[in-house]
Amino acid sequence: MDKTLLRTTGAAVAGALVTLAIVAIISSTRPQPTAPSTVAPTAPAAPAAASSPREPRKFEDVVVSTEWLAQNLDNPKVRVIEVSVVPGLYERGHIPGAVNFVWTTDFVDTVSRNIIAPERFQELARAAGINNDTTIVLYGDNNNWFAAWGAWVFRQYGAEDVRLLDGSRSKWEAENRELSTRAPSYPPGDFTVRQRGDLRVFLPDVLKVVRGEDNRVLVDIRSPDEFSGKIFAPEGFQELAVRAGHIPGAVNVPWKQALREDGTFKSVEELRKLYADAGVDGSKPVITYCRIGERASHTWFVLSEILGYQVALYDGSWTEYGNSVGVPIANPAGTIWGVK
Amino acid sequence: MLRYGSAALVCVALLAGAYLLQATPGRGASAALSLLIGAALGVAFERGRFCFFCIFRDFIEQRNAGPLYAILMALAVSGVGYAIVFGAFLPNPASGRLAPDAHIGPVSPALVVAGLAFGIGMALSGACISGHLYRLGEGSGYAPLALAGSLIGFGVGFGTWNWLYVTTIADAPVVWLPHWIGYGGSLLLHLTILGILALLLLRHVPPLPPRPIRQLDITYLREALFRDRWNPLVTGAVVGIIGVVAYLRIEPLGVTAQLGSVARTVMNQAGWLPARLNGLDSFAGCATQVVQTITDNGWLIGGLALGAFGAALLAGRFQPAWPRAGGSVTALLGGVLMGWGAMTALGCTVGTLLSGIAAFALSGWVFGVAVFTGVWCGIALRLHRWT
Repeated sequence: MDKTLLRTTGAAVAGALVTLAIVAIISSTRPQPTAPSTVAPTAPAAPAAASSPREPRKFEDVVVSTEWLAQNLDNPKVRVIEVSVVPGLYERGHIPGAVNFVWTTDFVDTVSRNIIAPERFQELARAAGINNDTTIVLYGDNNNWFAAWGAWVFRQYGAEDVRLLDGSRSKWEAENRELSTRAPSYPPGDFTVRQRGDLRVFLPDVLKVVRGEDNRVLVDIRSPDEFSGKIFAPEGFQELAVRAGHIPGAVNVPWKQALREDGTFKSVEELRKLYADAGVDGSKPVITYCRIGERASHTWFVLSEILGYQVALYDGSWTEYGNSVGVPIANPAGTIWGVK
Repeated sequence: MLRYGSAALVCVALLAGAYLLQATPGRGASAALSLLIGAALGVAFERGRFCFFCIFRDFIEQRNAGPLYAILMALAVSGVGYAIVFGAFLPNPASGRLAPDAHIGPVSPALVVAGLAFGIGMALSGACISGHLYRLGEGSGYAPLALAGSLIGFGVGFGTWNWLYVTTIADAPVVWLPHWIGYGGSLLLHLTILGILALLLLRHVPPLPPRPIRQLDITYLREALFRDRWNPLVTGAVVGIIGVVAYLRIEPLGVTAQLGSVARTVMNQAGWLPARLNGLDSFAGCATQVVQTITDNGWLIGGLALGAFGAALLAGRFQPAWPRAGGSVTALLGGVLMGWGAMTALGCTVGTLLSGIAAFALSGWVFGVAVFTGVWCGIALRLHRWT
């Protein structure tokens, strides 16, 4: 080996060691994550019978068309909110003036499995310039899944006028309507949370229905294969239950049946018939559920907001129910612990 | 004449491809734009010979820092652009949230080892992954072997991921400068560091050749654009601008997401993939997925190879050559090392180094230093003598 080569190799090895040392120092001296503040879980809901649902609204008053929204973008009484799952979607182009709500931090608590705490939600809503009389229009990707979840959270915290964009983000895009990359800013609003307890149920409420102590109808909105227990979850989903199947007595109406091919809602008559055929006609209070609660909020929106039935969402859904000890399940496919 | 005709044909093919893509339902403008961004990148890489390995080698072997200025320029320009785009995407960087899908990764010992392996792989195979992609367009015989090797390397990477994730990556800090000092402060620091590096390297720039006074006419333009190697500063600026456009409209530049996805999909179908890749899908970077189709990133690398092909044709640098036996082995081996490194580091010299440093991520700098060190070791050990 000649001297130059030796020198070069020496320098290279020294460089590698220095890099390793820097990283080791950074790794060892990085600050410990601060203990996250815990939020007390919301108290279980009061019996649903205690409060009555509001008068059914006209379809146009809960679902807005792309035309209506395009004409109302400058309306100060209207606030548009995007709730999309894909990161970067809002940032690379959103409906002009729309505010971004991120479902993992703005609609759910980051620590406990719960919806966002009321104080924090009030802050976010005010920062978005929302007042109690603001018309809130939500939209997002994936057929408004998490926009519907957002609508459910807004309604629980007392917002009166909450609407979804018909056809979701994809219809707005398909019509080549205007998109903006600018982040809007609004003067703070004065939205004040008034919490309702009748739009959400917990496991004990569901068990009452299963045991026949409460006369409600359960709607499972997952695919027929998940409902029967043939599969545990659609491919690619991480959150699972150790048991497959459904809650005894539930009826199965997959959420997507409420939509037409183009992603817009079916007509009120069609929707009423769709659910009536499954035994859900509004004569009894309803509970919707799915796997983690987000698709079921879509069906909650259809039944509660569009059809005006008395509906609560069981957001614990199958990932809580199917994992719970000592609760009965229905499993027509006969899969126990993943084996027949 | 044949050269010009073929280059024109490549150009028409790219435009027709972009037109068809934007008219295809479910793909739309983002696929078309990805193809064109890739093509632009291919042209810039080929015309400026923006090959990380050659640039590093010129400096390590000949103490010629001239080409390094292309990288510094690309980082400076894209840093300015990223700061502007970040301001619109995430107005408040102190919120604790990271800018959407920017390549800000965990800084762990695994990142350093991945960078070193990637650098040694570059020396073994004669170029990095993006280098091989553009050399594919120049007819290199080693490029297909190195790229095939990188697919295998990705497979190995998926195999070692869970262990690395649990032991080092999961708890590693994700350091994003703007979180601490804002976009303005980050950009200032970014440009200062690049400026100091540029000043220090000035000593190693060879004297410029005398340039005769020329009439700025069509012949001169043709030669400057299509025949002569672009000035490193021009190349770097063009690459930087393309990087910003890609982040603004599609996703940060990267050339390994589709390669990794192919490896992941094949392994998934063969049942070789671990049932669960812990935490992998929660990091931003050259993310891989099990896919059945060509992603935007696939169109980008396709455009890159085609764009480089067109540029090489015009410059007369399209010289297909059969690989030699010894070189074939090292190209494949180097590819495996690069694939493993790119998988573990969540990107390569483009995805983690360029797009990471431009995004003010510490992971980009750490990976860059490690890659440079790896290349240095590789050259010191004369690993590049076969290719």
